[in-house]
Amino acid sequence: MKPSVIIVACDMLLATGLKRLIQDAFSLSPRIIDDISKPMLLDDFDHIITTPDDFVANLSLLLPRKAQCIIFSYSPLGADGIRFIPRTAPESVIINQLRDYILTPKKPQAQKNALSMREIDVLRLVASGLTNKEIADALCISVNTVLTHRKNISAKLGIKSVSGLSLYAMMNGIIHPYH
Amino acid sequence: MTLITPESKLSQVILSNEPSIVTVINRFGISLGVGDASIAEICAQRNIDKDFFTAILNTYTNEDYFPQRILSSSNIHTLINYLFSTNAYYEHFLLPNVERHFNLLVSRAKEPNGNIALMLQFFNEVQQEIASRIHNDRTSLFPAIMAGNAHCATPQQLMDIDANIEDKISDLVNMLVVHFSGDYDQNLGLAVYITIHNLKKDINNDNRIRKRILYPLYLSNNRTTAE
Repeated sequence: MKPSVIIVACDMLLATGLKRLIQDAFSLSPRIIDDISKPMLLDDFDHIITTPDDFVANLSLLLPRKAQCIIFSYSPLGADGIRFIPRTAPESVIINQLRDYILTPKKPQAQKNALSMREIDVLRLVASGLTNKEIADALCISVNTVLTHRKNISAKLGIKSVSGLSLYAMMNGIIHPYH
Repeated sequence: MTLITPESKLSQVILSNEPSIVTVINRFGISLGVGDASIAEICAQRNIDKDFFTAILNTYTNEDYFPQRILSSSNIHTLINYLFSTNAYYEHFLLPNVERHFNLLVSRAKEPNGNIALMLQFFNEVQQEIASRIHNDRTSLFPAIMAGNAHCATPQQLMDIDANIEDKISDLVNMLVVHFSGDYDQNLGLAVYITIHNLKKDINNDNRIRKRILYPLYLSNNRTTAE
């Protein structure tokens, strides 16, 4: 059975573009809605694609359904296990990410190892080539805290080298490949 | 795990271990079709130091093995020759093999897959670091050890280079297993994984041999020269 998708977004241009992308890439017909007047409607869909603004505007309805949500935004909101697609990523990356989320069965273990917002901040700076001291200064934290974050990031991702972390950051839209 | 001894039959050693052990035996000039002879008999025929040969096989098959008996300078030429053969195996077989499979995976992707191209780029970086270590071995480290001279890098610095290469290959394997995504040829994806996994296993074993045999021998030689 094909997965069902709903796009919750006030920005119709964005919603239409996403719908077209999903139609072309996966032969699915997502529904678009700009106002959630019938909350029960959401439970009929496997995945809810939305933006940070629309998520916040409908917080009371979407937060309990965060496991269904995919946030299409400029920066990751994966802290609480909410799936994220980088808005500035190339189309192929967006399609790949959507494929993972929509067509691949959910993997509960992946959520367990999701990076926190702070870890994503640290990862972005590590991947950009900053030293521990520079990262500490940029985030106003101690070098020891940076080291702890780095240790946790490596443990969660199973990646030890800076090059490997940079590759992960590029593959997941945390930094741009040509950064 | 049972230790391999000079009395062990080489055919049994091959059959009871992973197939990759054949590539190690091959570095001593021994090919498949080993017959029913023991390691001691085969080594005597080919003028190979049987203790050194078994120490290498035990280090390769058993991560906890520490070869104390061969820590003598008389084995240094045998060891260096073995490491030269190992480097040649990386240069002429393992690395080109991974690269060939990776390039095929990129070229046969059903749609442009940025992830595969990025991983290939990462592999190329690792490949360059291995090539650089091989160059350093050939032009600087091995000649210095053979001549009993000190090398500009300390064993710790050399071990750091080894560990860095090991970490990056391990990252590459993890990226493939845990984080790989997109539409790609499944068979080629599997082939890339198997070839990189083989590279990882061999590099880890090679690093273990360097750490447990080469660098201690190098240190002990330097101490003797200094005295």
